[in-house]
Amino acid sequence: MIDTAIFIGIGLVVGPLLGGLVSGLDRILTARLQSRIGPPLWQPFYDVIKLWNKEKTVVNVWQAFCAYCYVAAASIALVLFFLRSDLLLILFIQAVGAVFLVVGALSSTSPFSQVGAHRELLQILSYEPLLILVTIGVFLETGSFKIERIYSWNEPLLMKLPFLFVVLGYALIIKLRKSPFDLSTSHHAHQELVKGLLTDYSGPILALTEIGHWYEVVLFLGFCSLFWATNWIGMIAIVVITYFLEVLIDNVSARLNWRWMLGYAWTMGLTLSMVNLVWLYAS
Amino acid sequence: MVKEMLTVEQLSAILIILPFLAAIVCYLIRVSGVRSIVILITGGVLITSAVLLIPLTPFSLSPQPFFGVSIHVIVQALDFLLLLIILYFGFKHRHIVIKALALFQIIFLLYFEFFLIQDKPDTSTLYCDHLTLVMVLIVSIVGSLICFQAIPYMKNHEEHLRLKRSRQHQFFFVMMLFLSAMNGLVLSNDMLIFYFFFELTTLCSFLLIAHDGTKEAIKNAVRALWMNSLGGGAFILALVGIYRETGTLELQQIINSGNIGTGVYLLSLALLCFAAFTKSAQFPFQSWLLGAMVAPTPVSALLHSSTMVKVGVYLVLRLSPVMRETFLSQSVALIGAFTFLAAAALAVGQSNGKKVLAYSTISNLGLIFACAGLNTPESIVAGMLLLVFHAIIKALLFLCVGAIEQHIASRDIEDMRGLYADMPLTALMTVMGVIMMIMPPFGILLGKWMAMEAAASNLYVIIMIALGSSLTVMYWARWAGTLMSDPFAGRFKPERQPFLTWGALGSLCAGAGLLSTAAPWLYIQMIVPALSRAYLPPYTTQNGILENPYGAFAVFPLSLVAVLGFVVAILAVKRAAKARVVKPYLSGLQVAEPGVFTGPMNQLVKAEAQNYYLSSIFGEKKLTTWINLGAGVLLTLMVGGAL
Repeated sequence: MIDTAIFIGIGLVVGPLLGGLVSGLDRILTARLQSRIGPPLWQPFYDVIKLWNKEKTVVNVWQAFCAYCYVAAASIALVLFFLRSDLLLILFIQAVGAVFLVVGALSSTSPFSQVGAHRELLQILSYEPLLILVTIGVFLETGSFKIERIYSWNEPLLMKLPFLFVVLGYALIIKLRKSPFDLSTSHHAHQELVKGLLTDYSGPILALTEIGHWYEVVLFLGFCSLFWATNWIGMIAIVVITYFLEVLIDNVSARLNWRWMLGYAWTMGLTLSMVNLVWLYAS
Repeated sequence: MVKEMLTVEQLSAILIILPFLAAIVCYLIRVSGVRSIVILITGGVLITSAVLLIPLTPFSLSPQPFFGVSIHVIVQALDFLLLLIILYFGFKHRHIVIKALALFQIIFLLYFEFFLIQDKPDTSTLYCDHLTLVMVLIVSIVGSLICFQAIPYMKNHEEHLRLKRSRQHQFFFVMMLFLSAMNGLVLSNDMLIFYFFFELTTLCSFLLIAHDGTKEAIKNAVRALWMNSLGGGAFILALVGIYRETGTLELQQIINSGNIGTGVYLLSLALLCFAAFTKSAQFPFQSWLLGAMVAPTPVSALLHSSTMVKVGVYLVLRLSPVMRETFLSQSVALIGAFTFLAAAALAVGQSNGKKVLAYSTISNLGLIFACAGLNTPESIVAGMLLLVFHAIIKALLFLCVGAIEQHIASRDIEDMRGLYADMPLTALMTVMGVIMMIMPPFGILLGKWMAMEAAASNLYVIIMIALGSSLTVMYWARWAGTLMSDPFAGRFKPERQPFLTWGALGSLCAGAGLLSTAAPWLYIQMIVPALSRAYLPPYTTQNGILENPYGAFAVFPLSLVAVLGFVVAILAVKRAAKARVVKPYLSGLQVAEPGVFTGPMNQLVKAEAQNYYLSSIFGEKKLTTWINLGAGVLLTLMVGGAL
């Protein structure tokens, strides 16, 4: 009981703290890759605090509702991850957050929000099946969807699920909206879509979406850590390397349109998953 | 008390015969007041009887002869009458397939009744276990609520059509008859009686689809009739096969004696599955259900949620124990998963709200078939949960769309933009319906979670389910967002609707929500007893957490957190309502008029955006032919593989 409470606390507090730090590191790293110095490590927190203190303006009150639901779903997903619950259930719950973010954007009539929202739906359409298949692969290897069991597996999953790990990395580019798949919104204003999905979220409500994003980042880095869970060093190494590669890809590629995204995800992603899954069925 | 006063015989009689009597009264007494009262009382009694049946389940019984004539003989006579009526419609609409199939069925039935069956043993005619009970509850409660809402709906409908003479007596005659047929079907244990009610639902759906009498309505009704007659034909063939192999027509006896494994027997089972697919409008038979949309919306609600299409999934779930570990079962899983994916893809390409609902029904039924075909204890539980929750939520969504359609005179999603400003409560209920379709901790997602975990061992099925469920999220989320779009209406003020409409919508919405929270209870009280003896109960329930050795779904804790999150979010909405309201960003100078900005040269520019329907990929024209072809191949595989 106490354990549960502690894990819930860790999930709720440490989650966004860690997520914000990752975001700060991301920005520094990106700046270095572009020969800039970049902002201080704590800059994402300053940004969110500043947004939080801005005047609240809304285009539609339901955006506030959606933003709160997004944060709620993202934080519940992370808490469940810390409680080492069912991985598939966690994916479902984070999808709730993603959907609410889209519904919030659709509730504004601005074409920028609308198009951004539809692109985000296409992103969900691209990464969601891949994440489910990765989870299925993890189940086939460990015999459980429960993270508790997966963490106690005595062999790094990467050995048996190499292609599925690639698929996970691929899905993460789409999920975390890194270039070339930052279609719906990105950290830098779009030329064609302004801020896309987030165009009409503003002030404290925008701050909420940022916090929700931090929860998601930590959740998915946790997902990556499952692939080398035999010791702490392996876990940290795999997370750091994966995220570094994500940032690298983000910086060296140009944005693609949704046809490429969906096409790649559903052909290459599915093929790789199928090959790896067939191995697992065979063994 | 009441419980002791009514026996199972009386309750079954009420459930089957009362709606039939009410139908006759509706037809004969053409006064709207009387009709409304009859429908309300019948619905009330049906709901009460279904609930009273709960503690008395399971039971089996053979009714006493009726004025000296045995029930079998009565049903036999009615059966021929029914087929003759279908034959009549075949001649009336000059449809060769209907005529041929009706004659085919009459001939086989004659052969069956007079040559094949030598002595009629004392079979138990009716049987009710918990699976039956679940169906009876769905039919009686959801079906009655739909009929209640149909009262104000049809009044509006006829005013809109400016009919000289009301045709509501016919409409409600068939609606009530339908409920009677459904209750009869799920309660019958004798396959011949089952077959009679099976055909009766076909006839009822034909009459309901044709109700408005337009050219299109007749055309679509005729299509529904021939497609479902195909199912009827397959059914009677299967009966002949099963009787020859097993020597019995008692459903329970067939199931309990297990798979006897001969070719003819398996082929008969495959034909029963085929019949189920036609009833449940699986590909390539989807077109009759899509065509059924021309009927008044309560008809769609009834066909899609609690009756007709549920017959197919009920039949296959019922037969699943004898299909365990057969190629047939695997084929059913494959066809179901394929339909789930294909229908979801087609739904993405639709902007017509009712069509989206129709494809979503086909898709969800496909998932239930996939669950039945996977045939593990987990997947059967998943299938039953999906069956229950889909019935309630789909009824809710159809009734909502019906109310919306009568208000805005369109069923296009694009025309529902900003509906919240106009019909806040209906819009909210529709959004709730959508949320319950795609989000945990609600029942459908619980079922989907179980289905996915059960499907993990089948590569093709799991891939199709994974893809299909992402497409599902896409078409539902798009719709919900469109409904909640600005302009912001200010204070929440529910629109005016007849009391019966609010009553039906409210109870379906609340019912689905509460039942989702009570899912562990539902699982223990209804689903576990409904499992055949061949399956061990797969989940434990502790502290409201459904758990098996490799997965857990925390229903109570998540529902609690969801309620908390919902309250916080609603409070946020209240606070946000006090905030400054600004116009959406349009990258130009804002003007007072919504959606307009000052562009170059001081010209006013209207900003517009529409939803993505991606018809270049997911359009009906692009996909339907290929999907039908694929489904045809899979069906051939299923029937041929059984040989």
